[in-house]
Amino acid sequence: MKAMYTMPPDESGVAHLVLDQSDAKINKLSGAAMAELDALLGSELVSPNIKALVVSSRKPGVFIAGADITEIECIETEADAFEKSRQGQAIFTKLAALRYPTIAVIDGACLGGGLELALACSFRVVTDSDKTKLGLPEVSLGILPGWGGTQRLPRLIGLVQALTMILSGKPVSGSKAERIGLADALVAHEFGAEKAYEFAECCLTGKGRRAILKKRQWHWAGYLWPMRGIIFWKAGANALRKSKGHYPAVPAILSLMKETGFGKIDRGMEKESRAFSQLATTLICRNLIGLFHTDQLLRKETGVASEVDPQPIHSVAVLGAGVMGGGIAWLFSYHNRSVRVKDVSWDAVGKAFAEAAGYYKQLIKLRKVKPHEVALNMHRMTGTLDYSGFDDADMVIEAIVEKMAAKKAVLAEVEEAVSVDAVICSNTSALSISEMGTALKNPSRFVGMHFFNPVNRMPLVEVIAGEASSDQAVASVVALVRALGKTPIVVKDSPGFLVNRILIPYLNEAGLLMQEGVSFERIDRLAEAFGMPMGPCLLADETGVDVGFKVIQELTAVFAPRLQAAPILQKMIEAGLLGKKSGGGFYLHEGKVRTVNPQALEVVGAVGASAVSDAEIIDRLMLIMVNEAAMCLQEGIVKRVDYLDMALIAGIGFPPFRGGLLRYADERGIPEIVRRLNELKTTCGVRFQPAELLMDGRSFYERI
Amino acid sequence: MSSRLAIVDGTRTPFCKAGGKLKSVQADDLGAFAVKELLARTGFPAGEIDEMIFGNVAQPIHAANIARVIALKAGLPVDLPAYTVHRNCASGMQAFTSATGVAVVGGTESMSNIPLLYGSHMTELFYHLNRAKTLAQKLKGLAAFRLRFLKPVIGLEQGLTDPVCGLIMGLTAERLSRDFQITREQQDEYALESHHRATRAIEAGRLAEEIIPIPISPKYTEIQQVDEGPRPKQSMEDLQKLKPYFDRKTGTVTVGNSSQITDGAVAALVMPEEKAKALGLQPLGYLHSHAYAALAGDRMGLGPVYATAKLFDKTGFSLDDFDLIELNEAFAAQVLACDRAFSSHEFARIHLGRDQALGGLDPEKMNVNGGAIALGHPVGATGARLIVTLLKELRRRKLHRGLATLCVGGGQGAAFALEVDE
Repeated sequence: MKAMYTMPPDESGVAHLVLDQSDAKINKLSGAAMAELDALLGSELVSPNIKALVVSSRKPGVFIAGADITEIECIETEADAFEKSRQGQAIFTKLAALRYPTIAVIDGACLGGGLELALACSFRVVTDSDKTKLGLPEVSLGILPGWGGTQRLPRLIGLVQALTMILSGKPVSGSKAERIGLADALVAHEFGAEKAYEFAECCLTGKGRRAILKKRQWHWAGYLWPMRGIIFWKAGANALRKSKGHYPAVPAILSLMKETGFGKIDRGMEKESRAFSQLATTLICRNLIGLFHTDQLLRKETGVASEVDPQPIHSVAVLGAGVMGGGIAWLFSYHNRSVRVKDVSWDAVGKAFAEAAGYYKQLIKLRKVKPHEVALNMHRMTGTLDYSGFDDADMVIEAIVEKMAAKKAVLAEVEEAVSVDAVICSNTSALSISEMGTALKNPSRFVGMHFFNPVNRMPLVEVIAGEASSDQAVASVVALVRALGKTPIVVKDSPGFLVNRILIPYLNEAGLLMQEGVSFERIDRLAEAFGMPMGPCLLADETGVDVGFKVIQELTAVFAPRLQAAPILQKMIEAGLLGKKSGGGFYLHEGKVRTVNPQALEVVGAVGASAVSDAEIIDRLMLIMVNEAAMCLQEGIVKRVDYLDMALIAGIGFPPFRGGLLRYADERGIPEIVRRLNELKTTCGVRFQPAELLMDGRSFYERI
Repeated sequence: MSSRLAIVDGTRTPFCKAGGKLKSVQADDLGAFAVKELLARTGFPAGEIDEMIFGNVAQPIHAANIARVIALKAGLPVDLPAYTVHRNCASGMQAFTSATGVAVVGGTESMSNIPLLYGSHMTELFYHLNRAKTLAQKLKGLAAFRLRFLKPVIGLEQGLTDPVCGLIMGLTAERLSRDFQITREQQDEYALESHHRATRAIEAGRLAEEIIPIPISPKYTEIQQVDEGPRPKQSMEDLQKLKPYFDRKTGTVTVGNSSQITDGAVAALVMPEEKAKALGLQPLGYLHSHAYAALAGDRMGLGPVYATAKLFDKTGFSLDDFDLIELNEAFAAQVLACDRAFSSHEFARIHLGRDQALGGLDPEKMNVNGGAIALGHPVGATGARLIVTLLKELRRRKLHRGLATLCVGGGQGAAFALEVDE
């Protein structure tokens, strides 16, 4: 294997270092690649004939994608991590110390270690290609840039921009890189090579170099007290608000950059290595890297065992223009697919347009789209009361009322209206796909496609293969969901499918806890402290208490006696406290402010000085989910353990730093989980009867 | 018989008063709504379309060659050529007669969005300021400013004024009212009847058959389903209360007995008859033949008489050959003047070179679902609406042939012979 090669200097003295990993589609800075670079820096690259060096990549769309993540994963001890970071820094320091100017020509992804390499060059030239992205995403893996990134970046682009890039982990485009001073020149992608060479020639003379350096700005704010203090205070408050204190990399980055950035870079480098080594061995880092691998795996997942070509889906029809129908229509229009929405009245159809326009309004605010693009995307939507235009659709998605008879009737009609090869989907959250499919003459093209509300924010889509669903249809839905930027997870057709089946016992347990006199505020506070994006009672408010209760009842019918609806929810519904939509549920919602609803306190009744401890509350909420998840695995509802973890992260926002529900269970140890379940079984009832699967004490991740 | 043009289907947006419900929707968006719904309803494959031709009068500055903009907004293939046609009020008809192969045709107009313009003084001031290099030059430029420079040129008014004879359209109608001695009362009676007929057509659901409800962009909080113009409670008393608008002292033409300023779009799918037959389509109807004629601009309202005469000469048809007539209601005075001219032997002799009058226009056959006085007159779209409305009514009544004719600002007329086969 070879990661790079050099080209000797031409008559002007410009040499080339070309990154071109021989056995891969992208360049990665593995240990071997770094060693190769080190060797070159000690031999060919110190040739006295070289007057300038152009560093570029031969991989289309990639400069360097980053360090090799599996190598980070293999780090065992802090000392190991420290050593690895120091080694990398030393190599880049050699690169930075070359006696001739070095120019990184970036035409594609330049991330993590790749950007740290580019930062060690004297100059950076970027192209305006869409694929050019420069960033330090380490924070999303629970670590920080450990090869000098935290030191060189603020010195180049100033503290404010550097903190933004390192704390958010978000990459910047080529044009933005040039604007903030990360790159010295922006060139057209199509003329990249020529322009880069011109730039290198310019670097050959002192005059040329000075002209380039003159364009760089000195970012004084980062060196001046009190500006420096204000910058850290603002950045810290922002980042901690977003990470809620669950991600130690964030405070680590802040304190490292606060302590360093002045004076000699060497001392900063050592501190960087120290901070890196502390993070790289944490469980959180391991969890986040685990999720990264699951994500990579899911990207390649076809969802079916056989090899089939997914059908391309260009146009869809959606039945039912409610909140879900509108959200789905928005998603398709946003991804430039034509979508025809059918409902029974024009007022109803109008709601879908309003729903979609609402999502676009948010996107305009976030500057993700421009108003004229919204106008075009909205034109991808049409409304209808009849089945006209359905014969053009490659796919139909049913999102009408959750009643089996109604859905069957509509599906039978739909089948008459669509072309013979259109895929037919149902967005049901609970009803059996196999049974619904019996309404069709050809149930093999029928698949469940369960979106979560709100469609724009929830990345998960459960793809449900019914008994009759063909691999072709399932694979088409999976490929489509991925093209829509969502995470598809194939699950078996069973009540509640995967996510709701695990979520519902958790919501119900919150109800039972309330009945025992635990205040809902306390429950929510504890769940949020655990890392859930919102507590179960607030979640009920958001989705509608009645909606949640309906699903609980449906699942109770199947899973009794271990699931029994908490009567308190019924009382809430009777009191008309349905959540946000009815003006108030457990909380009163005024804009973004929420206060405890005094009416709800009345309904919930006496909040005793409950004897239930904080730890017990969390155990009851989490272990009931772990247990149900174990049963799902037992029944083969989902193919892999890590897919289940990903489904809960993408579907209900289970905290990623915990690596997923099952990683959390593994961390506590299965024997411990079983012991706690047995204890809870005695105190709380049979619903905590440990699942069969847990009995052998093997961890979940051993089962992959 | 020469080849006919098959009109496979046609549809339109609701017509809404300028400054009304659709004021926020630009002409290109109106057109796109009509076109995409037309294609959804006909189910005709977009890849089989050869060209797209749209009529538009005001030609909004943000959408040069509006036909092409509409095509792309409606999601038609990027390799579909498109062009815009302009024959003033007949632009929507011109789109049909320009079509050669399989074409999406129609007309669109957002009269709400015809801009106000800076006058020549203000334009010149801006020009000077732009070129001024020194502060002194700038100040000198600014010093030339007078408050009256801010008086806008009203685009709509300019557009409706004939630059050759200098008359605004309403005054050409006043001419006809004098020429043919059409009283204010007769005009108001005619206008009232137009509202009654349109109202009945809406109540019976006849207009809904040609209308596609559209969401009101850019907010999308509402769906507009019906025409805004017809007034079910219109009374003769209220019409008579109105002051003459164009000739305030001696005139008879009021806003009540004129067509309304309106936003709307119409789209239709057309192709040669043989092609439709070969594809096994069942077209809504056919364009058998047509004629455009021209006359003096100050009497442009008589355009239908000249055009129809020309059509008869060309085809040998007479009025008896037509079961229904759509004669655009630019002004009540103008419709009534046409009626007199149609029935006048003298007019036929002097102006049309015919011995005999063309024949009287039977009110029971003409504008049976109301006309532009009630429904409105989005100038670029009206011509296309007449065709679609007429064909749908012929089909409803199981009749065979209809005449769609309209007057054109600047002094022209158009007449189309349309047919429905059973």
